Amino acid sequence: MWTFGRKIAAGFTLAFLLLVTIGAVAYRSINSLTDTSKSVTHTHEVLENISEMVSLMKDAETGQRGYIITGDQPFLEPYNNALNGLPKVVEKLRTLTADNPNQQKRISQAEPLIKAKLEELQQTIDLRRKGDVAQVTQIVRGGAGKKFMDDLRAVAAQMEQEERELLAKRAEEVEAAASSAQKTIIYGTLLCLLLVTAAAFMITRSLSGQIGLAVQHVQSSSVELQSTANQQASGAKESSTAMSEITTTIGELLATSRQIAESAQRVAHIAEETSKAARSGDQTVEKAHESVTSIKRQVDLIVTHMLDLGKKSQQIGGILEIINELAEQTNILAINATIEAAGAGDAGKRFAVVADEIRKLADRVAGSTKDIRVLIEEIRAAVNTTVMATEGGTKAVDLGARQFTEVTTALKQITSLLGTTTEAAREIELSTKQQATAVEQVNVAISSVAQATRETEASLTQTLQTATQLTGLSRELTRLIQPTASA
Amino acid sequence: MRDLSPIVQTVSELRNAFDRSYSLPPSSPETEQIENMLAVRLSGNPYAIRVTEITGLASNRKTVAIPSPILALLGVAGIRGSLVPIYSLAELLGYTRDMEPARWLALCGTDDEVGLGFSDLEGYIRVPMAQVYPASQENKTHEYVKDVARVGGLVRPVISITSLVEMIKRRCAENRVSSKQR
Repeated sequence: MWTFGRKIAAGFTLAFLLLVTIGAVAYRSINSLTDTSKSVTHTHEVLENISEMVSLMKDAETGQRGYIITGDQPFLEPYNNALNGLPKVVEKLRTLTADNPNQQKRISQAEPLIKAKLEELQQTIDLRRKGDVAQVTQIVRGGAGKKFMDDLRAVAAQMEQEERELLAKRAEEVEAAASSAQKTIIYGTLLCLLLVTAAAFMITRSLSGQIGLAVQHVQSSSVELQSTANQQASGAKESSTAMSEITTTIGELLATSRQIAESAQRVAHIAEETSKAARSGDQTVEKAHESVTSIKRQVDLIVTHMLDLGKKSQQIGGILEIINELAEQTNILAINATIEAAGAGDAGKRFAVVADEIRKLADRVAGSTKDIRVLIEEIRAAVNTTVMATEGGTKAVDLGARQFTEVTTALKQITSLLGTTTEAAREIELSTKQQATAVEQVNVAISSVAQATRETEASLTQTLQTATQLTGLSRELTRLIQPTASA
Repeated sequence: MRDLSPIVQTVSELRNAFDRSYSLPPSSPETEQIENMLAVRLSGNPYAIRVTEITGLASNRKTVAIPSPILALLGVAGIRGSLVPIYSLAELLGYTRDMEPARWLALCGTDDEVGLGFSDLEGYIRVPMAQVYPASQENKTHEYVKDVARVGGLVRPVISITSLVEMIKRRCAENRVSSKQR
């Protein structure tokens, strides 16, 4: 696609070429006219010299006649001037007509005639000077001089005739050249006007289209820029608000950091106190551990006694089994005694009573044995439960002892860790103070950023105004370029 | 722990009762007729055995099993220096043999003593004669039950040991005859 400069340069180049063409044609016509004019001048000069040649011949003849008639020397002045001027005039004629062979030929014809005439004049003058007037008259009456003059006039007339013909011809050529130059200038100017107008129309149209399109783009971009500037202004306003909030938050953070530093200081103090308490607790736990060990010994003793009691209960159970067995055997014996007494008839009745009493006693003993067995079982179960509970207690005491050991270890670890905690709390305090300092610096930086944001907001507002102005200018430019389109 | 005072009281009562039985004069013949019985349980069913029909009671005697065509024979046991055949009382009455060993032995017969084994002896009971009835058709669970005794609201069939012993002897005799014939 052609650029504006290229199009304009092309238009101007066309106009320049046309002007150059017209100028060249005009220059050529003027040159031709000048040449023709020079030729005319030359022809007039030739005509003038021909006339002068004839005139000088007349002057010579006039001087000769006056001297002849008067015999006075002053009348010879024209003759003498002619004698001096004629060679120059003839020579000049020959030079002026060097390009014309016909004229050169006629000059060659005229020169002998001039020479002959001048010789006739010189002869007559010399004769008069000698006083031979008759001879002079005779010579004059002989007409040779007249003939020479007539012939010379005829030659001069021929030369003049040819020069006048040349003059007429060159006048025609001048007229033709002038007409050609006029036509060239008129038509060339018209053509140039047409072409320049067409080029101007096309360039204007093309440039209007392109500039209009570009202006439309500029307008569209201006609108977008305006919208973007609006959004950025809004964003900058929000950023400014956010910065204010951040500044507030950082202020709160700073206060919190200071509180944390104070809390860390308190924590360090409390950790030291706790460390002391933990050391004291360690001693207490050691004492408690000794107590638990003593309890464990007592419980072990109780378990031993309870196990003995369980064994005794088992022994009682064994004795009870024997008693039960005895009661059963007694019962059997009593039953058998009853049977025997029944077999003995009346003699055995009293024995039967005794046997029955023994059997009843055995029955009762057996019943009591059952009760005692239940009781013994309960005692054994209680002993077992107690032993198990005591063993559980032993285990609990063992566990408690182990836990006390663990507690002691834990308390030592706590003491150690509390030292670390104290150190960490101090480091936290120091770090928090450094953090507070950093937060203050951040606060200052944020304030600067907030200021910058406000300035950005102001500059964005200015940008928005500029974008709005640019949009207006674009519309104005569009209206200037394409009035109908903008309308 | 349980209070031991009731046990002590029971022991005291037993001692007093035993002592009292010897401190009192011999009791007069009972006006009420009493039947002495052994309360037993066969395959979970209550039965009674008249003490007058047995010659003795033994317990925990080792019984050695011997082959016999009589299925109810458990084996032989040593009683008072002689070998006594022991039969399962439950099987003789038609029940299946108890899973538990026959701990108790009721000895019967005078010449050829026979032992009837059972596993569960509930006790020695004294039943008034008025509470002993001939077994009705309803209560007669077996041919060897002639009477029933009402004890404590419970009716116990009374096994006729004499009939059982006779039946055992009869079967033994039949077996001996059949063995000789073979």
